[in-house]
Amino acid sequence: MKRRTFMLATAAAATTLILPARAADDIKLRDLYNKDLSFSDMALANQDKIVDVSGYMAPPLKAESAFFVLTRMPMSFCPFCDSEATWPSDIIAVYARDTVTVQPFNVGIVVTGTLELGTYRDPDLGFVSRVRLTNAEYRRS
Amino acid sequence: MRKIGIAALLAASTLAMSGANAQDLPQSADPYFTNAQALIAEMAARQPNTGKAKNVILLIADGQGVGTNYAIRLFAGQQEGKLGEEHVLPYETAEYHSALVKTYNLNAQTPDSAPTAGSMNTGIKQRFNLINLGPNAFTEDCSTEEANKLTTFSEIVSEAGKSVGVVSTARLTHATPAAVYAKTAYRNWEAEAPEGCTDIAVQLIDAMEAGTIDVAMAGGARNFVPMNAETSFGGKSSRKDETDLIARATAFGTTFVTDKASLDAASGDKILGLFTNSDMAYEYDRTETEPSLADMTAAAIKALSTNENGFYLEVEAGRVDHANHAGNLYRALTDGLAFIDAVKIADELTNDEDTLIIVTADHEHAIAFNGYCGRGTPIEGLCMGISNEGLEHNGELETAADGKPYSVVGYLNGAGSVLTEQAGAYFGTRPIATQEEAIDPDYLQQALIPMSSESHSGEDVAVYAKGPWAHLFDGTIEQNYIFHVMNHAVAAN
Repeated sequence: MKRRTFMLATAAAATTLILPARAADDIKLRDLYNKDLSFSDMALANQDKIVDVSGYMAPPLKAESAFFVLTRMPMSFCPFCDSEATWPSDIIAVYARDTVTVQPFNVGIVVTGTLELGTYRDPDLGFVSRVRLTNAEYRRS
Repeated sequence: MRKIGIAALLAASTLAMSGANAQDLPQSADPYFTNAQALIAEMAARQPNTGKAKNVILLIADGQGVGTNYAIRLFAGQQEGKLGEEHVLPYETAEYHSALVKTYNLNAQTPDSAPTAGSMNTGIKQRFNLINLGPNAFTEDCSTEEANKLTTFSEIVSEAGKSVGVVSTARLTHATPAAVYAKTAYRNWEAEAPEGCTDIAVQLIDAMEAGTIDVAMAGGARNFVPMNAETSFGGKSSRKDETDLIARATAFGTTFVTDKASLDAASGDKILGLFTNSDMAYEYDRTETEPSLADMTAAAIKALSTNENGFYLEVEAGRVDHANHAGNLYRALTDGLAFIDAVKIADELTNDEDTLIIVTADHEHAIAFNGYCGRGTPIEGLCMGISNEGLEHNGELETAADGKPYSVVGYLNGAGSVLTEQAGAYFGTRPIATQEEAIDPDYLQQALIPMSSESHSGEDVAVYAKGPWAHLFDGTIEQNYIFHVMNHAVAAN
């Protein structure tokens, strides 16, 4: 871990301890994108900063992983909506500090992590993301 | 008994007399009374249109049964500043005849959109998951396709010289639009099918080449480009072959459009529009570069109207259904408003004398409504109490036995379930929502049974119609009867 990231993460953890109820300041996932899916001013203003984002944990792609996808609404798979699984456009890839404990798909969570913007292809999963929260932790909202 | 019988006769007689002297009643100046009197006059003056239908427009809001339509009516009214309950949707006036529709499939109490749309396009009930095949064809059994293919309304009317169009906000190969042109043993064979069967995307281009489809617009470009190729939106192909269906279509003279600007500029009578990789955006999320359902409907009517023999057009609001599946009422409502705009533009651009307009849904959802809420309670929000002396709600949230407020609308199942998995079992307590949270566009109404996708229901839908032979819609009908009214109207002398 880079020293700067570690220090920010430590600061974030400390903040969480001092102010555990930061829900009012949570960024909603939709606030990071404009309608045309370009990054919003809020996203650009918080790039590389530690932020809290509320959403839902999609069913993990891989067991025993530190990676999961945060969605705006519970990620429901509808057999009549699509013949193949399609991710919504406005998602966040979350790289957690630790192996993820899977949360039910319909339980709201708040993820705290460093906001990274720009296209990135995960070398292991092949998953392409445009927004990520790294070194992240999460809690039920 | 005899005494009671005479009393009843007298009462009936008094009612008849009071009917003749309605203006003498204490309630006769009430607007509800006068409006109803005006409606009596309008209904009594209605004359059936027994002319020949040159054009037929079948508008289907997917998943917008009587309950969902009720929610959209209130939402539409509340968007206009009304309390909402009194609002009248464009197809709910006396201009339209109406009926209730039984939507079950041949082998399913709870229907899916493939056989329901198929029944409207062929005149018989069909099996779950199948499109336009007879009762001896079975899901994913390619060998049962050939001997069970039915004749579609698009084939009948194109044989008679009419043009045919289909537009949808879902994918062009999705169940409801596919029912206009495709015959398949599995609705999911959109971009690939087993050996011996033809996928739905190829069937569309075959139909356009054969002249049974002239105009087709929707999402779903990924099903039309060769494997390993990208769509014009940068999406991956879903095909498993090298067939370039867009190139095929343009080679026989089809105009291909990909956004609102190119749609507006399109001319000619053969148009293929593919505006997104998969489904088009929900109306709430739509950008200006993507045409609305009303934009597509208007463009389709303009292109189809160049045929002096008339046309058949199916219009689908495909994503009222998807938002209900997500348990997200707000987007179901806003896509419902987009459907209303499409109905309005279809009516404006055609003549009641020669155009049969049918407005319906394919099926309902597991949507339900709580009480007792006061007038003007936001239909997408929390239930507010009834005012004793005013008309509008009393401004106070109603609470349940758990002391928490609740939304007007709930779903019987779905992702909004209040039960969550804990240690392998499901338990739950209802979360507390504020009114602000409940009316948020991303809010999921509370649901009971946990399912990743909220389900359809077998409850009735309504059908509304005006134009030639629209009066044949009355009472409670089987869904396949809709085909027969369309067929009767175009064949009438």
